[in-house]
Amino acid sequence: MSTTKVAEYCYQCVAGPDLLNVCVEDGVATRVEPNWKFGDIHPAAGRVCVKAYGLIQKTYNPFRVKKPMVRTNPVKDRDADPMWKEVTWDEALDLIAQKLLAVRAKGVRDESGYPRLAVTFGSGGIAPAYTGALPAFLSTWGPVDFGIGSGQGVKCYHSEHLYGEFWHRAFTVQSDTPRTNYLISFGNNNDASGGVLGVWRHAQARERGLKRVQFEPHLSVTGAHAQWVPVKPKTDAAVMYALLYTILHEHDWRKECDVAFLRDMTNSPYLIAPNGLYLRDETMRKPLMWDETENRARPFDEKFTPAMSGTYITSGITIGADQELTNFENVQVATSFQKLIEHVREYTPEWAEKISGAPAATIRQVAREFLQNAQVGATIEIEDKTYPYRPVAILLGKTVTNGWGGYEALWGRTMLAVLVGALEVPGGTIGTTVRLNRPGHDRLASARPGPDGFMDQPLNPTDKENWVAKPKIRNAYQTLVPLANNSPWSAALGPAHLPWLFMKEPPENWPRPTTPEVWIIYRTNPAISHWDSETVTEQMAKFPFIAAFAYTPDETNWYADVLLPEATDLESYQLYRIGGTKYIEQYWKHQGYALRQPAVEPPVDCLDLTDIGTELAKRMGLLNEYIAVLNKGGGTGIALKGKDFDYTLPNDVAPTREEIWDRACRAATRELSGGAEEHDLAWFKENGAFFVPFPEKDWFLHGAMVQKGLRYELPYQERIWRAGLELGNRLHEQGIEWWDTQLHEYSPLPAWKDFPDIWGRIAEAFDKNPDDYDLWLLTSRSMQYSWGSNVGIPVLADVAKNVKGHFGVMLNAQMAKRAGINEGDAVWIESPLKRVKGHAIVREGLRPDVAVTIQQFGHWVTPVAKDLNMPNLNQLSPLHLALTDATGSGADVVRVKIYKANGKDGK
Amino acid sequence: MSRWGMVIDLRKCVGCQTCTIACKQTNNTPPKVFWRWVADIETGEYPDVNRRFVPMGCQHCTNPPCFEVCPTTATYKRPDGIVDINYNLCIGCAYCIVACPYLARNIVFETKSYYETGLIPPEQVLAHPDRIGVATKCNFCLPRVDAGLARGLKPGVDPDATPMCVGSCISNAMHFGDLDDPDSIVSRYIAENDTVRLSEELGTESAMYYIVE
Repeated sequence: MSTTKVAEYCYQCVAGPDLLNVCVEDGVATRVEPNWKFGDIHPAAGRVCVKAYGLIQKTYNPFRVKKPMVRTNPVKDRDADPMWKEVTWDEALDLIAQKLLAVRAKGVRDESGYPRLAVTFGSGGIAPAYTGALPAFLSTWGPVDFGIGSGQGVKCYHSEHLYGEFWHRAFTVQSDTPRTNYLISFGNNNDASGGVLGVWRHAQARERGLKRVQFEPHLSVTGAHAQWVPVKPKTDAAVMYALLYTILHEHDWRKECDVAFLRDMTNSPYLIAPNGLYLRDETMRKPLMWDETENRARPFDEKFTPAMSGTYITSGITIGADQELTNFENVQVATSFQKLIEHVREYTPEWAEKISGAPAATIRQVAREFLQNAQVGATIEIEDKTYPYRPVAILLGKTVTNGWGGYEALWGRTMLAVLVGALEVPGGTIGTTVRLNRPGHDRLASARPGPDGFMDQPLNPTDKENWVAKPKIRNAYQTLVPLANNSPWSAALGPAHLPWLFMKEPPENWPRPTTPEVWIIYRTNPAISHWDSETVTEQMAKFPFIAAFAYTPDETNWYADVLLPEATDLESYQLYRIGGTKYIEQYWKHQGYALRQPAVEPPVDCLDLTDIGTELAKRMGLLNEYIAVLNKGGGTGIALKGKDFDYTLPNDVAPTREEIWDRACRAATRELSGGAEEHDLAWFKENGAFFVPFPEKDWFLHGAMVQKGLRYELPYQERIWRAGLELGNRLHEQGIEWWDTQLHEYSPLPAWKDFPDIWGRIAEAFDKNPDDYDLWLLTSRSMQYSWGSNVGIPVLADVAKNVKGHFGVMLNAQMAKRAGINEGDAVWIESPLKRVKGHAIVREGLRPDVAVTIQQFGHWVTPVAKDLNMPNLNQLSPLHLALTDATGSGADVVRVKIYKANGKDGK
Repeated sequence: MSRWGMVIDLRKCVGCQTCTIACKQTNNTPPKVFWRWVADIETGEYPDVNRRFVPMGCQHCTNPPCFEVCPTTATYKRPDGIVDINYNLCIGCAYCIVACPYLARNIVFETKSYYETGLIPPEQVLAHPDRIGVATKCNFCLPRVDAGLARGLKPGVDPDATPMCVGSCISNAMHFGDLDDPDSIVSRYIAENDTVRLSEELGTESAMYYIVE
């Protein structure tokens, strides 16, 4: 038997990519192995997680869509079989091109101003690692609505993306795990969601003595190795505020906090006028600080040692919403830090205990240990440069960062790091990538100087002249969410559920919500992954034409008009940037490119997405434009022409996929090596990946901030507050009041609100009694399943059953006993919206008022998955504006009641 | 002669089942058969609850109960400590399955695919008809170890000579090596940490050592 090994990357979850080899025996892919060859470069010794091994079955799944197919039943309904008919690829692509040409003839925007073409890519940020050159074709099109959601805003770390990037260029926030000694986690489940690097690094850290405290409603996989503190859902911010209180009011912050950091690298010394805005000097309009030596206020950028705390009498102006100027003469002002001290004064540990259930003594213990471990004053040498060394970090989980309470939790977390100077320094809390700022591959360079001593923030405009009053896409991110910015990623980071909601319930004084005339979907199944999946399917059934890249039949492509068999991970080409700093724990001492390549002959009639991009460009008469985009690096991320190389494609000949990627390989290696090395596609097929060193000091924003003389925009949020006020003015000018609740989130110092009550009261919107729903239903990540169409891979089900919680709903043992529910019993899980059935998994490791389901199931079409009989929180979760926060996100939280299916209330 | 053994650091294991699936694929075990798996164990009562992940499988005992009950000598001990099964001699009586205190042995009586539609190509290529109706279990990836040794590789150091569960572990919790070599990684871990072996009171003297928190 002949055996060869084919190098690939796995990017099935956002915590990758990682490297692997596929063993091919007699032309059949049989096994996956880590790519140990890169053990000294890959931070987890070249290993891959459980999902990568599922790629074998993923390739040979007998339920794959085997040929392009078109719908013959015009009725789109859950109970109506699409009656698929096989067609050739030419027929399928001709059909799509014909629909697109018709759209183009009518105009790319419809009567409401929305793009007639919509495209939804699923699986968080990983789709670009699989879409080949298809995005280059989409770039030639013009306006495309990329904002019809598949669950993002709820399923990602949405608000962390927006606020994290605003505060410290941290689209994803991590600990500097190799150096962190003390980690406070609020629901962060990195041993399930942190990828191979996360698991590896945290395990090594535990071996050397890292202590972790896990505030979480249930004892997760990650909490298993931590001091577990059960807390009520959505009360995390209360605990964080109590930690801030304890540090500022029960400890001596002057001795234990990093005063130099607060003074020199934050807005702590900025003076706040009585109206809550920065007090500024009248001529330069710069924020003022207090000089205690000269007993006067001076602009922030003058050289002196400002006062950190206290109140002072002085004069100046403020700039409010819409540039409203206010003069103040001899008024009492306070430093931003003084405002912070006052702001948290009521948030005692005893107060937080009543709200969260976390014992006050534990909160004080954690505050004390946090301060002790912060080592304020310590330094460390990294690559011959001296950095502050603060080995304490705070991580948050998805449901903590998202939805109401997300802003408060994120601000509380970042402030904890700021108090001890543990932001963006070795050992502390760091960001790992940017997506809303540019350049996307260099977050240090993205920290450009902006106004008032802070980083530039390209917020969506809220002033009269520039506010985007008429939404450009259906989720209206430019209109409603200043913090979403306007990068290529922003469309997917807007309120991506609003299109579904608005199609069902059009809001007042708003362009009429329309369905896209052509919807192209790839690796996405919103009928399962979106909250209120029933509403979503009702709406998509009205879409006139859906082209779905399809791995197997599923709940969303059930409504499609044409299915295109998907070339899976081992069947197509892509060269992808790897290493450096990327999502989650992906920070390396190397950076480079890795190749994904066909390992075997596909067992189905699929086509590489690169070839599909080329074919569509040809059929649309856009070949020249398509090649021009490819040459500039659009779609592939690799420009084919650089300072000393030119591998551009001739613009009049349709290139093969090999030609495109061969040139990309050469260009990428030339660019990355500074011209020293050049490797072609054949070299990558043999070697798998190319690397050059990446400076470890670039893991930390600190150096760039110091070098550019910038301050972190904390603790005070004047800019965010002002943006919210202006947004309110604009919306009200249009007669829009349905976003008013969201506008209340904008505040300079976020206060605790009764966030859990928001989910409690939602029952009233359905004419139900909130008291009837006594449990919180939450979700938890499954490393074994997320994401990449893995629900239909039986070997993953086989191994996942060894991990508690798969294939049922987890209930606390005391609660189950009271309800007469035993392990394995069929139960109804009922929310104000709907009820679904599941099986009880009885555990001690969760609060009695909490139930937890794993991942997202509830399938009714997807082969294998539909036989798992797993409940899905999404089917119970209302799609409602009241559950949408100002950033446009919601949270995986639903109030439910649970009872035996064969009990007196069930059947 | 070497005495192969493992050290598993329970401080590091997260129960991800990467070793489980890597083992399944390397040894092409059928559905629901695990030569290596990770138990997810919860103890205590709310709110004082502990959760631990414990990789399980054949412990390659010095005094294996399975060996004692085997009526055909199919189960045998190699000089290097690996307990293996000669499928040609096994009659599938399942005495060993009952005798093993670690629930490490399995038996299946028909070839099964993960799919109801029949064996998929990799299952066909890696088929093991000799394993039908006989006891099976972890053999410390004996073919990898032996092939690696033949190539001059060092088990526990070189991945190609090391059991796949160890080479695949993403928390670096599992280590393999020569228990008789004081410089091996396993001997060093045992010397530097408190370790336990499962059900030591049974006198099995297993070759699997666990570092407990």
